[in-house]
Amino acid sequence: MALQFLRRWWKIIALVLLLIFPWLFRAPYYHVLGFNILLYALMATSWNIMGGYTGYKSLGHAAFFGFGAYLAAIAANQLGWNPLISAPVLAIVVAIVAMVLGWVMLRTSGSAFVIATIAMLLIFRLTALNLRGITKGAPGLSQPLPPWTPEFSRMPFFYYALVWLIIALWVSAYIRRSRFGLGLVAIRDDEGKAEMVGVNTTLYKVLAFGVSAYFVGLGGGIWSYHASHISPIFAFDIIIGVDMILMTMIGGLGTLWGPVLGAFLLVPTAQYLLFKFGASSFYLVINGLLMILVILFLPKGILPSIEEWLEGRKAPRAAHQGAMSMAEMHGLTDSSLSSDKEGK
Amino acid sequence: MHLPSMNVLIQVIVVGLLTGGVYALLATGLTLIFGVMRVINIAHGAFLIFSAYISYWMFTAFGVDPFLSIFVSVPILFFFGIIFQRHVLSKVAGDPGLGVLLTFALALSLEGLMGSLWESTGRSVRTSYTSKVLPLKIPEIKMALPFDKVFELSEINLRLPYVRIAGLVAAVIALTGLFLILKYSNVGRAIRATIQNRNAAQLVGVNVERIQAITFGFGLATVAGGGALFSLIWTFNSGSHEEWISKMLSVIVLGGMGSLPGAFIAALIMGVVEAVSAVVMTSYISPIVFYLILFITLIFRPQGLMGVRIRKG
Repeated sequence: MALQFLRRWWKIIALVLLLIFPWLFRAPYYHVLGFNILLYALMATSWNIMGGYTGYKSLGHAAFFGFGAYLAAIAANQLGWNPLISAPVLAIVVAIVAMVLGWVMLRTSGSAFVIATIAMLLIFRLTALNLRGITKGAPGLSQPLPPWTPEFSRMPFFYYALVWLIIALWVSAYIRRSRFGLGLVAIRDDEGKAEMVGVNTTLYKVLAFGVSAYFVGLGGGIWSYHASHISPIFAFDIIIGVDMILMTMIGGLGTLWGPVLGAFLLVPTAQYLLFKFGASSFYLVINGLLMILVILFLPKGILPSIEEWLEGRKAPRAAHQGAMSMAEMHGLTDSSLSSDKEGK
Repeated sequence: MHLPSMNVLIQVIVVGLLTGGVYALLATGLTLIFGVMRVINIAHGAFLIFSAYISYWMFTAFGVDPFLSIFVSVPILFFFGIIFQRHVLSKVAGDPGLGVLLTFALALSLEGLMGSLWESTGRSVRTSYTSKVLPLKIPEIKMALPFDKVFELSEINLRLPYVRIAGLVAAVIALTGLFLILKYSNVGRAIRATIQNRNAAQLVGVNVERIQAITFGFGLATVAGGGALFSLIWTFNSGSHEEWISKMLSVIVLGGMGSLPGAFIAALIMGVVEAVSAVVMTSYISPIVFYLILFITLIFRPQGLMGVRIRKG
């Protein structure tokens, strides 16, 4: 009973809990934590559209994060645009650049694609470091602080990230149900066959790459306003992209809610480790070892594993039904099996 | 963009070739591993920096010359490679994408480990011979050409750092050793057979799992040797591996993934291109040239100079 109630209403319950969270926990620390969770959930959901649905695992999505962050910061400094308003618009630029680069990179696949994405990230980082006239080089850029009073602290960021997470989840769900999404999954399963049955694989892959870059670029824009100071080392940190992958894989690669679950599990853990051990290299060791363990022992992620377990409990009945329909299909049904169909 | 004098240009090209020799040693292990296992070992750069740290540590703590600490780091990484391939990497053999992520995770752990052991300041080994250079004079050349023309080349003075020359010599020795092993030993024949066709190799009795483990060991052993040379020539910290794995990947993509001669030629080309672009181009473009070459190769010739086209996986 309770399970059914939860199954039906859990989205609403979760949303309500998230809406009242900043008022229950008033300390700014919790607002920052909540904001980080939502931001990473947004970006992991976005990465999943390319890495999970389409099967092209990019290690360089931090390039779009940093690009979005720099665009928003530069627009804020030179044009006076508020990043919360400009980020969704500027992320379109990120998506277009990503599609142009993607058109090149998606000519490769598998290992070569991974290499290309890392190289892309390095090109972006080196550009940010060396285009000193615009980016101010290694020391980085500062931008105006948010206009609201410190009393509100980080609350507006929290709600803003929540809104965009909901939009991203809606887009992700919509894509998964659509013809476009079916094409993407077909590409993941067998690109050659997908092409044979008439999927325009190049167009689909490039579009998916653009969509998955859009929300990451948007996340970068929001983050740059939240951090108020950005530098190439932190904005184009490969770890940002790695965290997106890790979250998606822990939650469930290619599932709608997996990336969100991964973010809700991983970001607090990471914050706890940072708190416990400081922003040290030890954090990297944990991150790396965790990733190795996930790949070895939980390659499908939590959600698909739970689903499998639930399916397993229902298996005997399902297996019987399966056998019946198989038998029918092959015309093997004898009178005793099909009697209730024909006899009446 | 400005053109330097002939003297500077030749100096730069020669130093580029010397550097390219070391690149060749670094990239060989990577392309060998890819050839046998079809997995890109992203941790290659991290192992490079790790063995450079071993040399650095042995030099500062015990005064051991990096050319001697090779004999410590090579066996360590060789056996680590065998164990890692046998017990970890082979578990995801079916999915090259997962293999790449796994080696990447290993690189992260190593980076963190090195960062906590040696902090993040840039390190390098400074021996008594680090700043010594070999002056080399190429005399003036005058040649009579047909049609009463004269070919003239003014005197050229080269200054070649000893560590670079020693680096090239050591790299050539290591590569020759590897070549002899691959060409004449049974293990080497089995490795080459596996690169050509894994299933066929298995059919004629090659123990592919064992060969893969040994190859991974060889790959890490070459990079361990390279790391000792590396510590003499370049400055590094725990985060440097990202930059270096990208350079090595560019080299093996240009050479053709899995092709040993391709990696060698591409390494020399990249060494020269890098050295020349640092002099000829603005400081904005030159660091990017490496990755631009990678991009251009992937667009126009994904199979590289001497490789076969990579398909899915």
